Amino acid sequence: MNNLKLAWRNLWRNRRRTLITSASIFFAVFFALVMRSIQLGSYDHMYKNAIESYTGYIQVQHKDFWDEKIVDNTFAYDQQLEKQLLADENVEATIPRFESFALASNGPQTKGVLVMGVDPAKEVHLSNVTDKLVKYRLTPKVIEKIQQDPNLPEKVKELAVLFENSAYTNSSRLQLDLGIDDKKASELMPAIETHAVYKNGSIHLGEPGVWVGDKLSQYLQLGIGDTIVLISQGYHATTAAGKYEIKGIVKIPLPDIDNKIVYLPLDVCQGLFNAEGKLTSLALAMKENQDKAIAQTVQRISAVVSENQKVMEWQEMNEVMVSQMEADDKGGQIMLGILYLVIAFGVFGTVLMLTAERKREFGVLVAIGMQKKKLASIMTMEMLLISLIGIIAGALVASILILYGVEHPIIFKGETAKIFEDYGMEPKMVFWNIDTYYISQMVIVAFMVLLSIIYPMRKIFGMKVVNALRA
Amino acid sequence: MKTVKSILTICLCLGSALLVYGQDLSPKDIIRKADEKFNGEKTGIATMAMTIVRPTWERTIEFKNWTSGREYALTLITSPAKDKGQSFLKRHQEMWNWNPTISRLIKLPPSMMSQGWMGSDYTNDDILKESSVVNDYDHKIVGEEEYDGRTCYKIKMVAKEDAAVIWGHQVRWIDKKDFLFLKSELYDEDGFLVRTELGSEIKTMDGRLIPSRIELIPAEEEGQMTIIEIKEMKFNEPIKDGFFSQQNMKRVR
Repeated sequence: MNNLKLAWRNLWRNRRRTLITSASIFFAVFFALVMRSIQLGSYDHMYKNAIESYTGYIQVQHKDFWDEKIVDNTFAYDQQLEKQLLADENVEATIPRFESFALASNGPQTKGVLVMGVDPAKEVHLSNVTDKLVKYRLTPKVIEKIQQDPNLPEKVKELAVLFENSAYTNSSRLQLDLGIDDKKASELMPAIETHAVYKNGSIHLGEPGVWVGDKLSQYLQLGIGDTIVLISQGYHATTAAGKYEIKGIVKIPLPDIDNKIVYLPLDVCQGLFNAEGKLTSLALAMKENQDKAIAQTVQRISAVVSENQKVMEWQEMNEVMVSQMEADDKGGQIMLGILYLVIAFGVFGTVLMLTAERKREFGVLVAIGMQKKKLASIMTMEMLLISLIGIIAGALVASILILYGVEHPIIFKGETAKIFEDYGMEPKMVFWNIDTYYISQMVIVAFMVLLSIIYPMRKIFGMKVVNALRA
Repeated sequence: MKTVKSILTICLCLGSALLVYGQDLSPKDIIRKADEKFNGEKTGIATMAMTIVRPTWERTIEFKNWTSGREYALTLITSPAKDKGQSFLKRHQEMWNWNPTISRLIKLPPSMMSQGWMGSDYTNDDILKESSVVNDYDHKIVGEEEYDGRTCYKIKMVAKEDAAVIWGHQVRWIDKKDFLFLKSELYDEDGFLVRTELGSEIKTMDGRLIPSRIELIPAEEEGQMTIIEIKEMKFNEPIKDGFFSQQNMKRVR
């Protein structure tokens, strides 16, 4: 106890030195935590986007469908199976889908597309396509109207030109892209909204009609009311061909999907592929979506499905994305490693200096009868206290920022947002809440400090008192 | 004198022709005869049913086929209802597909020639007869064999270097008496067997004896097969070249 008291007093004997050392540890912990939080947050956000707008957490498929995505590998949509799946405690809803590829064409423009037959009412539980309908669009005409509106500031007009042809599913994103503050929103937005409003129709089971992705509609130069022609191979090698009126444009937050998706009502899609009553997949909406809960659900459901069906988890279905994220994660860890290395040398530098400065002091202490062991333990405590101050302060400040960030993700606006969108990313930075990653970061920093203690220990134990006194 | 000379010449010609007929025909002539017998010297009109057999399912498509020489061909699907009205046209080197559901005329690129026609084991090339068994190959008689109780010429056909064909070589068994393609083996450039074609149920159609059932068996895919049954066939009916037009693709019944 006495030692600790001595160590604590020693710390504040040279305040500046203590503060500089703790500050370097503070920054190490702070940056490491915030960086990790943003990294984990953005992975989670991307996964959620992919899962919730496309695959879902779990799907039941024909056992060969994933390896060979042809419409022959489908299964009958039977009520018995649906009832059994719904009986599971973690399954909120089953969402039937018929998914295939087709060649879509409008005049001379042709593109391979992903055709998705959905039940719009049931999709509410998962992808909620209806929410992704484009509500505002900055067409050249709209921009012209905005230019001529005398009430709008110049900055808004400039930004409107920059975002020409962008589509929006809600007004808040439109407001951000046009660089309008929340204060001015109530006064400016209504006018812009009336200029840019975009009217979509809906699709219903039993009625031919499609929704197409925003990017795809731009590529094929299609608008609402136009006709899209789809041609593909149907069930048992029949010809699948049909033309449909475009009822609406959807904007999917995944650019890879947005530029190739065509939504059809489930039964119309089955008719197109001559596969009445068949499904390529039955996606399941979950009540609990933590990894553990999902793994357990998969286990339970696997027992229910018939032997020519297979239960797929989101990691398997988003394999490319998962490995991309893993690669990115490794990159992030290397960055952290470099950060730690820099900080470690910083800490070691101060310790080196500190030891040199106090050589004489140590010499005197030992000369007047202090045991080297005791001196060493006081020294160790000093270092641990310094690092503790740094780590706690760093974690505290980072936590405040992260807790705030979880509630208020960073959303970019104006030109910066455009840069993000051009890279195919959502202009949004999401934080990951305080979690186990805290422990590993703090342990690593503590380990660094422990390593640098070795030097003063060796100095103390190898000290020649006579020499030290003369230092 | 002149008349005598010309009569003599005719007699000589006929005589030598008969001699050739009776004795050794060149392998190329055998192939030509068999080909013309099946497809018609000038034109051919056929009604056929094609059954696609797969390990887990099978499906039948009925269609009508008009051909005129090597240059023109038109195929119209008549059943099932979903595919009915689709037509395929070949004019010289170019091919189109008309789909009434989407009112689109689609040009088939040459790269699609080796792909399956209507999901069957037949390639587009087989249906539209882009390449010629007579002109695109060098022929050689390699023996005589019995097949299905008939004596056959066994002829090996090697694709010419510059010919646009999808096979490396073919071996065909042709009935000696009636010039029928009874069995064919088709090999790729590396000499691997790709498919076997078997002709059977020999019937008389429009005064000719032809195999009315053709089975096509791919070598690599187990349990797969395509069967063509010829229901009716007419030869050398006059068809104008104008029949083989894009307009007619949409009209033809």
